[in-house]
Amino acid sequence: MSLRSTTEAWSALTRVFHWGMFALYAGLIGVGYYMVDLPLSAAKMKIYALHKSVGVAMLVLVTLRLCWRAMDRRPTSEPMSVWQQRAAVTAVLFLYGLMFALPLSGWVYNSAAGFPLRWFNLINLPALMAPTPTWKLWAKSAHEIASIVFMSLVAVHALAALKHHFWDKDKTLSRMLPRRKGWF
Amino acid sequence: MCRFVASMLGCMAVTMAIGAPIYPVATGSTLQFQGTQQGEKFVGAIRAYDAKIAFDPADTAHSLFDVSMQLKSIDSKSLERDQAMQTVDWFDTGHYPLATFRTVAFRSLGTGWVADADLSIKGRTKRIAFPFQFQKSATGAILDAKVALNRLDFGLGAGEWADDSMVGHRVEVWVHLVLAAPAPSVGEKPPTKAGAKTAH
Repeated sequence: MSLRSTTEAWSALTRVFHWGMFALYAGLIGVGYYMVDLPLSAAKMKIYALHKSVGVAMLVLVTLRLCWRAMDRRPTSEPMSVWQQRAAVTAVLFLYGLMFALPLSGWVYNSAAGFPLRWFNLINLPALMAPTPTWKLWAKSAHEIASIVFMSLVAVHALAALKHHFWDKDKTLSRMLPRRKGWF
Repeated sequence: MCRFVASMLGCMAVTMAIGAPIYPVATGSTLQFQGTQQGEKFVGAIRAYDAKIAFDPADTAHSLFDVSMQLKSIDSKSLERDQAMQTVDWFDTGHYPLATFRTVAFRSLGTGWVADADLSIKGRTKRIAFPFQFQKSATGAILDAKVALNRLDFGLGAGEWADDSMVGHRVEVWVHLVLAAPAPSVGEKPPTKAGAKTAH
């Protein structure tokens, strides 16, 4: 099993990116909706700090993922109608766009709110802008809306994959799933 | 009426006890502090304060700095942080709206001055050394000071905030007071020509 994707299946690295980032995003969004309603405490700030650190890491990960995608081969697409093909490509494009929009809007929100951004207690990252109340409101809304659109698209993406698997009985889903004999 | 008379008498008593010229605080003055949150420095400004600065380098025994700060006026360019500072864990301004600073003695360092002063925050008073520069200017004087404090000395950020992982212990207080010329008091020598020139 090669590191690169084959005409039959996605490479191990692609699958690690896909499922690893899925798990991280599920955690980020879950924690994100949980933490906002917490009363002020040091624990709340620690949870925020972790959310922000992982969020910034996602920015790096999605960049690496796109680089890898550009270098890698792709499995040949299963036969499907043109509209399905287009819908799938559009959804994936938006998903990638949102994987940038989510951390960036969060970063802008954090900067506009005048909060520090310490990455995993290692280094402090610069603010993207000076504290600005109006931008704070806009960025907060953008961050929230992006998360809702993202969750909706992930749901559509997953339902489509399940439909291909159980209805069309093709390999669209199985070639992205972990191998029975491990990842490689 | 009684109150008025009492305050007038009080004021006179203070003025007489001070003796040194009282410099009115003018615009351009700032009272700020710098703290650290998650390794990043931030500056908070105390917008509302009342500072009585009576200082005579030749007569420090009758000099006095008496400052009262309204902690609800703190602005650190972050709404959440400003709100947090008002809570019981921090300044607890519901119970302790004011911080006060009052000098007890002055020492000359040659290059500058040090005042021993009582600083009270959140009901706790600590005697601190307050090094400062006092430069007479054409329009009055400039008072600059920088002093480092430990927030734990005043019970700021107790409990789960006590360790410095989220908020650093060291806080620097920055004082920059632009002082106008003292009003001539009764019995004082008439202003010189230079003094009269700068009065307006």
